[in-house]
Amino acid sequence: MTPPDARVDGRGAAPPAGKAAITEAGQVVEAYGRWAPVYDLAFAAVMRAGRAAAAAAASAAAGPGGRIVDVGVGTGLELPMFDPGVRLTGIDLSEPMLRGAQRRVARERLGNVDGLLVMDATRLAFPDGAFDAAVVPYVLTVVPEPHRMMDEIRRVVRPGGEIVLVNHFGAERGPVAGVEAFLGRHSAALGWHPQFPFAVLGDWIAATPGIRLVERRRIRPFGLFNLVRLRLAP
Amino acid sequence: MPTTPDDLPTTSPAPGGATRVDRRLLEILVCPVTKGSLTYDADRQELVSEAAKLAYPIRDGIPIMLPEEARPLDG
Repeated sequence: MTPPDARVDGRGAAPPAGKAAITEAGQVVEAYGRWAPVYDLAFAAVMRAGRAAAAAAASAAAGPGGRIVDVGVGTGLELPMFDPGVRLTGIDLSEPMLRGAQRRVARERLGNVDGLLVMDATRLAFPDGAFDAAVVPYVLTVVPEPHRMMDEIRRVVRPGGEIVLVNHFGAERGPVAGVEAFLGRHSAALGWHPQFPFAVLGDWIAATPGIRLVERRRIRPFGLFNLVRLRLAP
Repeated sequence: MPTTPDDLPTTSPAPGGATRVDRRLLEILVCPVTKGSLTYDADRQELVSEAAKLAYPIRDGIPIMLPEEARPLDG
């Protein structure tokens, strides 16, 4: 069978070494390219709703003047969504992403951001109990060691404080499951794993003394993402 | 005689003219490896962990708290 690229090429010459692999990668890129506009229009809006819900929940948990750490703050999309009365610290493994957050803080004059720092979420540079709340937006599914990350986040939140996660947890059936199956096939390109089960977090909660699940709610529309609130024992 | 207004951890304007780290936040940071205390070196813009023998750089207002990015201290 003639490879598609040979026909497109039009010269009928044998493709150079490595051409087949490039074509295959190109097909993935092309598929992702078709997906990208949908992602931007639909899922970015849904993810934004999740960020807003998480920022509101963490702000309420921390209270006026309370301190919140944003684990995986990225370019700081949710930073303007917190109550202006809370103090924010953002961490991310990616310095280029944090530069984006830094520009956002300047542009939007976010005076309640105490700092942006490059950190590995499994090795935080904060002392025990430094924060009233932690917010973890769309991070759990992209880190290689989610339980180690959760242990560290729990360490830096004070007794009685809250950990607010917004994440995707796999649906078992229905239209969401169909979308997830598609996403699962493209998870490398998307950089996250849509079929990440809630059990990964549930196992951690069960194995960790002094942690209680206080809320789990779907984010509308679609219910693709969940907001989860965990409270540390006082 | 001109005096240094403060020793806040900012050396050069960051991209976009942004931010430095709040001094109170800087003071509570610990070494990510040992969880021990850090010493802030304003001149070198570093956070020094004597126990880990590492100096974590602060680049344009962003502390880089990764051991693999830190400067090893001699001796």
